Amino acid sequence: METLTVILRALANVVVVLLLAPLFEGVLRRVTARIQSRQGPPLLQPYYDLLKLLGKEDIESGESPWMQRFAVHLALASVLTVVCLLPLGAPSPLNAAGDMILLIYLLTLAGICTLLAGLAAGSTYSLIGISREMITMMALEPLFAITLVIGALNVNSLRLDQVLDGSVYAGGGFPLSGLIMLAVMLLSFQAFVQRVPFDIAEAETEIMEGPLIEYSGPKLALFKYAQMIKLVIYSSLFVALFIPWGSALVFPFGWLWFWVKVLGLVLLVTVVAATHARYRIDQALNYYGGLLGVAFVALILAGFGY
Amino acid sequence: MAAREKLNLLKERFGNAIQRADIPAEDRLFVFVDPQSVREICRHVFRHLDARYVISIGADDRPHSGDFLVAHHFAFDEDHLLSSILTRIPADEPAFDSITDEVPAANWAEREIRDLYGLEPRGHRYLKRLVLPDGWPDGVHPLRKDVPFDHVPEGFDPDREFKFDEAPEGCTVVPFGPFHPTLDEPAHFRLYVEGEMVRGCEYRGFMVHRGIEKLAESVLTYNDIPMAAERICGICGCVHNVAYAQSVEGAAALRIPPRAEYIRTIMLELERLHSHLLWVGLACHIVGFDTMFMQAFRIREPVMWIAEKISGNRKTYALCVIGGVRWEITDDLRAELRQVLDQLEKEWRPVVAAVQKDRNLKARTRGVGVADRHLVKDAALLGPVARAAGVDIDARRDHPYAAYDRVEFDVITADGADVWSRVIVRALEVFESIRIIRQCLDRMEPGPLSLDIQDELPVGRMGMSSVEAPRGESHHFVITGENNRPRRWRVRAPTYQNLQGVPAMIKDQQLADMTISLGSIDPCFSCTDRMETIDIRSGAKRVWSQEELKQLARGTRA
Repeated sequence: METLTVILRALANVVVVLLLAPLFEGVLRRVTARIQSRQGPPLLQPYYDLLKLLGKEDIESGESPWMQRFAVHLALASVLTVVCLLPLGAPSPLNAAGDMILLIYLLTLAGICTLLAGLAAGSTYSLIGISREMITMMALEPLFAITLVIGALNVNSLRLDQVLDGSVYAGGGFPLSGLIMLAVMLLSFQAFVQRVPFDIAEAETEIMEGPLIEYSGPKLALFKYAQMIKLVIYSSLFVALFIPWGSALVFPFGWLWFWVKVLGLVLLVTVVAATHARYRIDQALNYYGGLLGVAFVALILAGFGY
Repeated sequence: MAAREKLNLLKERFGNAIQRADIPAEDRLFVFVDPQSVREICRHVFRHLDARYVISIGADDRPHSGDFLVAHHFAFDEDHLLSSILTRIPADEPAFDSITDEVPAANWAEREIRDLYGLEPRGHRYLKRLVLPDGWPDGVHPLRKDVPFDHVPEGFDPDREFKFDEAPEGCTVVPFGPFHPTLDEPAHFRLYVEGEMVRGCEYRGFMVHRGIEKLAESVLTYNDIPMAAERICGICGCVHNVAYAQSVEGAAALRIPPRAEYIRTIMLELERLHSHLLWVGLACHIVGFDTMFMQAFRIREPVMWIAEKISGNRKTYALCVIGGVRWEITDDLRAELRQVLDQLEKEWRPVVAAVQKDRNLKARTRGVGVADRHLVKDAALLGPVARAAGVDIDARRDHPYAAYDRVEFDVITADGADVWSRVIVRALEVFESIRIIRQCLDRMEPGPLSLDIQDELPVGRMGMSSVEAPRGESHHFVITGENNRPRRWRVRAPTYQNLQGVPAMIKDQQLADMTISLGSIDPCFSCTDRMETIDIRSGAKRVWSQEELKQLARGTRA
């Protein structure tokens, strides 16, 4: 009975995210269009796009077609597994089966899929794309890890339900370290979701979508889907870590309130993306470096209980 | 009399090497010199008299004098003088002394003369083909008079691949082009990249060389050519249209009616407005700032509409005939144009203010794609690229044509020599263009639109004209000829020189800066007015009107 509930709740999480992720993308595109004085596509356009791509011929291309296929399935699989771990307006379904370490692993795996995709294409542009992606990952992963470590320190646990519930504030007060990390994660959020000004690894006008250069049809659809889900995942994580208030409301209010918060983050991402130019990789790296320095200070502060 | 003064300077120094000189107008100088001394004379003119290199031109004059001609054009901008140093090359010894060692900017022009006329530049250090494809057989030179315009030589292999130079050691090759999302026309930069740093590049272009010059010399007539000329470019077509007409008018000593001069000025400035607005948008798109791209295009659109109302077309205005213009700007149009300008000025001011303060944009463009004064001089860079490096040149002021001598405007310069400065120069030039058009609208008097030309144009005269295109000086040279068409017509678009500066601009900077550096000399873009949709199943056609498209895009009724 217990197992069945867990499976059903995990499935529910997956289905909800699969259904909602393109909608958030649609909101993002629509709001971007409004900022640009355009009407923009219908809200449901991302669904149509995915369906259209899924219906196209599946072309094998690039240096290593099987790796290309593997990378895209792995990407979608890893982000969906992450979804099973997340408390999406309700307690995390796989609370007992995994902890923060697993979460970090899975998120890294999703990033590695991009590298695999780029390697599979084997073109100069995709290789430049993955070298940029790799640099970005190395700078960003620690930021996220530090946030989780601070949270874990505060609650003295690696359990998902305890850490992913405003743990950076150490239950109640507003310690300095939590507030610093809030600022750091806000400033780097755009990079986690790979949007302008930090869409450097894809940079359409420079390296023509980098790692995705050889993707088309159904495989491209799955990759795009994984990217849309990533936006939801990171927004949910941010909400769970930093904006926990109201999560204890009774169903369905807590659940709805959670998605309103996620929508708020997506809107923030949209506005930032629409008002910035893309940075160069060296400029971005300097920026991440600065944030990383600040994050370490926060970690030390948290260690002393501030 | 700057022309006389410069001629005397040359005579004093080179004496017998000066064979013949012609000063058809105060601001034009043609000097025929001894082929042995041409290198020395050009060095003197370029380095000591500090003239700006314009272009080198070949011509096949064998049917008339038995010789080839090679002309090197230089501009004395401060003295308002355009000069040409010509040499006669005997047909039995088709070679000339290269001036590229003295004037680096002549590199391409001399290679082009070699390709198209078969004249060997002696002493040129990089004699790779420039215009002709590698599959073209040796010994066939398309611009020679004995080659028909539609001739496809035996042994032409269109599928032959280009032979590229070896990449330097330790560098990987990143192909930038022939097709790339930010290149709207095929051009191939082979970048030598070390990590993310560009260490050098090789350029192959001319993949869509259409042979317009040959066509003009063979089948078109004087008044057909303006229409062909404006199809050289989808952005600054009117510039070529006017520059050609002016060079013929110069050669034939025709003085066009004042009203036509004002109308030419207005249309040229309208073209600059739309071009600069488009460019600022495009530059922002290249660095990923798409909101500015969309807004710039929105602000630009009324300029296209008013151009359409005046000429019938958003672009390719079909403005000039020899001796005047074809379109009248009526009182209604004048009033409407004023409104468009007011609206544009009102909307553009806050955009410029926002751009000037945008630190994010600054971070991407400051110190990027640097072309300093020395590069500007040596590669003869033009327009906003030169002005952004503090080189104060502008053909509108330096070599006034149309009605530019009767209007007041400032030449905008900056001193950063980088992409950022080019953005600012172009953004501010928009206001100057608005100012110029307003003055023209105030001052134009009623009168005829064109001359009534009764006689054939004189034969064998030379004319040249420089027009300040949005991207820099566009230079046209004409030798008038028989059968109502020129013997030789040479077009030097500003990008011809500016592109030669790109390898130096992108060297030792990040790959990510390549597109914006190249973009900063101003890429080209065609725009489509209306869209036609055809339902494949029923075959039903529907043409979307401007209003409907606008409704579709913006969701608001105009």
